[in-house]
Amino acid sequence: MVMLMKRDLLDILACPVCKGDLSIEVEEEDEKEIIRGRLHCEKCDEFYPIEDGIPNMLPPDLRD
Amino acid sequence: MMNKLFNVDDEVYPPSEDTYLLLEAALREVEDDDEVLEVGAGSGFIVEKIKNKVKCIIGTDISPYAVKMAKARGIDVVRTDIARGIKKQFSLIIFNPPYLPTSEIEQLDDWLEKALNGGESGRDVIYHFLDSISDNLQSDGRILLLVSSLSGIDEVLKYAEKQGFKWTKLSEKRLFFEKLEVYRLVRSR
Repeated sequence: MVMLMKRDLLDILACPVCKGDLSIEVEEEDEKEIIRGRLHCEKCDEFYPIEDGIPNMLPPDLRD
Repeated sequence: MMNKLFNVDDEVYPPSEDTYLLLEAALREVEDDDEVLEVGAGSGFIVEKIKNKVKCIIGTDISPYAVKMAKARGIDVVRTDIARGIKKQFSLIIFNPPYLPTSEIEQLDDWLEKALNGGESGRDVIYHFLDSISDNLQSDGRILLLVSSLSGIDEVLKYAEKQGFKWTKLSEKRLFFEKLEVYRLVRSR
């Protein structure tokens, strides 16, 4: 099984609101994956956090 | 489904009869080149058992506890509602939905309740899934869906047909208080 690399993440994920492409800001990564960072939708000006290697794609109104 | 002997984590639905029935069906269904999504992957039990038999697999869950647990098992997970924010199309999608009618559940108001609660009829989350999941399914892709008599099987199948799927029953299991069935859904057009 392949781990989700930086490039794979962007191939798989989209903005949950507008379904548009995302860009990625990496704060911490290892050889396998991005551990901490955030995904950005330019169109919606919204950020989706990656924490402990887990992207949180919940739209802001559904986050906790 | 109302298993009170939680040995996984109090906030995450532990593998139960429905999990095992769906896993057995999934093990028969998967092919080497399958790209798989498990919606509501929970602790990651099913993903872990099939990950070495497929090309790639990721899980989603809305619960922060579930995704952490699955991640700790070395599984790729995304925290989201069904498959929101995922644009990839998969050849196989697996879903063991929350299906208990609200009245059947102790109102816990926590993440475990969310893993069980299918709304008034037990079908809310299943319908929500069927409304949007086509976007993530390859044209000849398959869905494996677990359905329980507690949320009404005919109603779910009718709704699936309305949303453009045809179905085949793959397996069933009778329990003391419910009947579990696994269906394969494919596009009908």
